[in-house]
Amino acid sequence: MATSAVSFGALVTLEELVPSSSQFTQGASLRVTGKLQEYDIETAIASIVEGNASLKIDTQHLKVNLRIGSLYQFIGELLIDPSNQAILRARVGRNVDGMDLNLYHQSLQLLRDFQAEQMNSTTS
Amino acid sequence: MDALYNTHVKLLAFDFLKLTPSPTEPSSFFRRGKRLSRAETVGIVVTRDLKPGKFVKFTIDDGSGCISCVLWLNQLNSSYFSRRNPSDVRLIAQAATDFASDLQLGVLARVRGRITDYRGALQISVSDVVVERDPNMQILHWLDCMRSLVMLLARILDSDCSASCARICGVER
Repeated sequence: MATSAVSFGALVTLEELVPSSSQFTQGASLRVTGKLQEYDIETAIASIVEGNASLKIDTQHLKVNLRIGSLYQFIGELLIDPSNQAILRARVGRNVDGMDLNLYHQSLQLLRDFQAEQMNSTTS
Repeated sequence: MDALYNTHVKLLAFDFLKLTPSPTEPSSFFRRGKRLSRAETVGIVVTRDLKPGKFVKFTIDDGSGCISCVLWLNQLNSSYFSRRNPSDVRLIAQAATDFASDLQLGVLARVRGRITDYRGALQISVSDVVVERDPNMQILHWLDCMRSLVMLLARILDSDCSASCARICGVER
């Protein structure tokens, strides 16, 4: 199987990104989506929310206009400090205002089920 | 005749990366027994390496994997195009240059092209690029890819996998 030099951002919701989750791993490449709640221009740290969950995003390497209240999607690597606080160091980000979040969540689950079925069929 | 052979087949990255090269035809690849030569992907541009006048190499991340792509920018100097009408070659070169400028980090892009094997790594040799402004296009691509694979499985296999995938996607067989 061919591989790429860069890891793809695994699709994950903020509510799934808890310390007990398998995705909550140092250096994990993730794709997250959420509404921009806060942005500190001095540190370039943003905070996005999705439902009752939130995540800090390090946006210092991005060239994206960030607007409070807009929906954004980021791909990057998860950094976890000793107190189990996580921040995503984003490689890319984009405004996704207009994304149908219900459709997104349903399709995301569908995609996971589909991929799992494909894996089961190749291993069995 | 292989109906999918000259079609840009919509593929999820994790599916694209499972293609197997034909042992006899360098331009052919197999996916579940079907011969393909072209693919379409939709995802976020996560890497970009521009060599002006030569090529731009980039990577598309669609959430299921990463696909390496190359867009050639050397049409005006290439012997491959030397026999073609010069004005046609200039148009092709200009289109490629425009595509390259559209391919910026973080954009959602729909990319189509020939499937190629470069030093053992699968990639797409790009023929055209569209930057998708609607963020729902990524979701639509996932659904299109899943649906097309279910239809393919239904045609070539009567298997538990086909049936369960069809149930997941709500597709009638």
